[in-house]
Amino acid sequence: MRRLRSPLGVAAVVSLAFLLFAVVLGPVIWADDAVRTDTLALTQGASAAHPMGTDGLGRDVLARVMVAARPTIGLALLATGVAVAGGLLLGGLPAVLGRRAGRLVNGFIGLVVAFPGLLIALVLAVVLGTGGRSAALAIGLASVPAFARLTQTLAASVAGRDFVAAARVLGVGRVRMLVRHILPNIGEPLIVQATLGAGGALLAFAALSFLGLGVQAPDYDWGLLLNEGLNRVYLNPAAALAPGVAVVLAGLAFNVLGEFAAQVFGGRAAVTRPSGRSARPVPGDALTVTDLRVSYGDAAAVKGVSFTVAPGERVGLVGESGSGKSLTALAVSGLVEPPGVVSGSITAGETAMVFQDPMTSLNPALRVGTQLAEVARTHGRLARRAAWERAVTRLDDVHIAAAARVAAQYPHELSGGMRQRAMIAMGLMGGPRVIIADEPTTALDVTVQKQILDLLREVSSTTGAAILLISHDLAVVAQLCSRVLVMYAGVIVEDLTVERLLAGPAHPYTRALLASVPDMAADRSLPLATIPGRMPSPADPAAGCPFAPRCERADERCRNELPALEAGVRCWHPVDRPVASDAMRAGESGRDDLRVNDPRDNDPRVNGLRGNEVGS
Amino acid sequence: MTALEFHDVRVRLGRGRHAAEVVRGVDLEVPSGTVAGLVGESGCGKSTLARAAVGLVPLASGRITPDRRRAVQLVFQDPYSSLDPRMSIGAAITEALPRSGRTAGEVARLLGLVGLEREHATRLPRHLSGGQRQRVALARALAARPEVVIADEITSSLDVSVQGMVLNLVREIQRELGLTLLFISHNLAVVRYVSDRVAVMSQGRVVEQGPVDAVMSDPQDPYTRTLLESIPRLRQ
Ligand SMILES: Nc1ncnc2c1ncn2[C@@H]1O[C@H](COP(=O)(O)OP(=O)(O)O)[C@@H](O)[C@H]1O
Ligand code: SF4
Ligand SMILES: [Mg+2]
Repeated sequence: MRRLRSPLGVAAVVSLAFLLFAVVLGPVIWADDAVRTDTLALTQGASAAHPMGTDGLGRDVLARVMVAARPTIGLALLATGVAVAGGLLLGGLPAVLGRRAGRLVNGFIGLVVAFPGLLIALVLAVVLGTGGRSAALAIGLASVPAFARLTQTLAASVAGRDFVAAARVLGVGRVRMLVRHILPNIGEPLIVQATLGAGGALLAFAALSFLGLGVQAPDYDWGLLLNEGLNRVYLNPAAALAPGVAVVLAGLAFNVLGEFAAQVFGGRAAVTRPSGRSARPVPGDALTVTDLRVSYGDAAAVKGVSFTVAPGERVGLVGESGSGKSLTALAVSGLVEPPGVVSGSITAGETAMVFQDPMTSLNPALRVGTQLAEVARTHGRLARRAAWERAVTRLDDVHIAAAARVAAQYPHELSGGMRQRAMIAMGLMGGPRVIIADEPTTALDVTVQKQILDLLREVSSTTGAAILLISHDLAVVAQLCSRVLVMYAGVIVEDLTVERLLAGPAHPYTRALLASVPDMAADRSLPLATIPGRMPSPADPAAGCPFAPRCERADERCRNELPALEAGVRCWHPVDRPVASDAMRAGESGRDDLRVNDPRDNDPRVNGLRGNEVGS
Repeated sequence: MTALEFHDVRVRLGRGRHAAEVVRGVDLEVPSGTVAGLVGESGCGKSTLARAAVGLVPLASGRITPDRRRAVQLVFQDPYSSLDPRMSIGAAITEALPRSGRTAGEVARLLGLVGLEREHATRLPRHLSGGQRQRVALARALAARPEVVIADEITSSLDVSVQGMVLNLVREIQRELGLTLLFISHNLAVVRYVSDRVAVMSQGRVVEQGPVDAVMSDPQDPYTRTLLESIPRLRQ
């Protein structure tokens, strides 16, 4: 509903009202005026009685234009219908036919799509004979190839998705596959295209009628009226203007509707500006974040995060998806985009980012060395030659063998691990004081993962750069970092050393998380420990400790008051007994001090579904 | 139940100049009613082997049994892409059921088996969390009454807190139904936890296989050793 109030939404509603009014009521209101001949007023200019003048037989031009809306738009829609039906049929064939026949159809579509549509329409109109319906058919058929191409491209992209593969494994037939799985998933872009196509068909139709190939007298549409009007344009210019304006308005209306449909289906929000100015990082030593908040409208995704990373320190930020860890990293680098609003203060030294997928941050069209050198040229104002040499040195620093050769290669020529090294080398070009690595090894194999983590450790100890490693994987964090921040539902719930993490954390959530990771020594005869329920969403304004609904230690106070982060723990009832790391095993999770539920207790088959509580 | 057997399986992918032999002569047996883990770095051919077993990619040579339609079912890695976004959970499971057994009661039974409620049948995938979707994907595979199930990285895109629930469920169902299961993952700890036997794959070949404990405690192949040494450890 909100979208309807955007400028485009308003324009779409007005356009639709205009079209509907003309089509539904035009002939009802003006039918009589349109045929009444006034022999006293032949070919007159605009007057009070005839706002757009009269035609050669003294009929009111405005009335005729309004009456002609129905046949004009009706035939344009007929043409669009033909185009869509034909396009779906032809474009859907490759999905239904076997591989070889499908390729043949694709080839055919590629061939016919190369011909200009209007030319095909003209030829077909002549072949099919004059008249409104054959003209509509001609225009419709002429647009079939374009729709077929669109259908086929969209269908091919859907056909590559796993759910289609799953249906094939289940033995779902090709026709059912097309009708049940493929078409419903490409409907939206097709509707958008069809609406835009209707505007095009309307123009094409007016053109055919204007040329005398479309609607024939005594019937009339806008194209024919335009033709008549132009013949007498020196006597009554309004008679040519009125149908012309109608064609343009209706064409625009279809376009606006199409754009609006695209916006609604595409989920492209109307641009909204954040109400306040977002906080941005200011230069400083290493990294200090104070009371950082990131919100989207009413939903607060990060709710007051404060921490400091000292020069050369390696800190991990862990949490499950949706806990706000990546947003925290983005905010620290000043990369949160509107409509997200950032508040709080961030002071950070020269920052380098390393992402999960280096391919998204490396330019595929430029040589690796060129991209690295560019940083040195803009940053350090080095000459081209010196910048390139610096780039090769940095690639060498991250242990890329034959760095000079790799510098001359393109990103796609490198393996995933090499790309991540190149990305780190690029980060080093600017002499960073802080390196923020967001899931840098998630896409890599364990063997490569270890190398990248070793590299990050080496870089921080040789350059003194601070590292903030964001990961969902406790083991990865434990391998690289000395300190860990655990995030849950937008707040830091525990700030602890890796030794303490391994020995037994104090926060019930950290303990539960640790216990749910199977390790190489897990007892295979026992079920894994799990955490029942799910994390509250950012829009949930619950007052107390966000972990309370899932925590066995929770009491009234927990549910009503959010504990502060004190001595590194945000909890009213922290577990203070240090326990041996062995006790964290799933097998002993029933122990009272561990706060990890016996998995059998939260087996949903036993307990049934409690609202969204069982959220796995 | 039936054993899953690969006999000298080779698979070529790509066409013309880009063609490459991705699976290069794999011999592997998963005895009836047992779980075999398959580990190896990404790109080594695990998924291709799985897709070959369900007929999604053709074999260049070799043989895989059972090769009857629907007898082998595959559960995919990404539960966001493996369910049709336009199809309700109930419809997706119904589609998988044998024609004669397409009843609401049967759908409810399968939902119950994977720990979901009857009410979930009317929902669309976008209303479910990642873990719940993966349960649905599992229910859909089971609906086809398979003799063998292949699970390809089914917990890789899930949070650790959810991973445990899905792993527990897989183990329970496998035991309850006596399924033959090939469990593919790059995470050795996860594979170790669910499997009876394990096979290590590298560059299109199985380089080592045997009982889980033997392979993990006394790896014979150098690649297996590197793999084991690279695992980040949480508990010393
Ligand atoms: N359509 C294709 N054409 C050519 N090579 C492919 C194609 N699809 C996958 N490959 C290659 O096959 C190899 C094995 O891939 P895959 O079976 O997905 O490995 P895994 O599941 O072990 O990660 C990879 O090197 C991959 O790049
Ligand atoms: S504050 Fe209460 S509910 Fe929150 S983690 Fe601590 S004991 Fe559990
Ligand atoms: Mg794979």
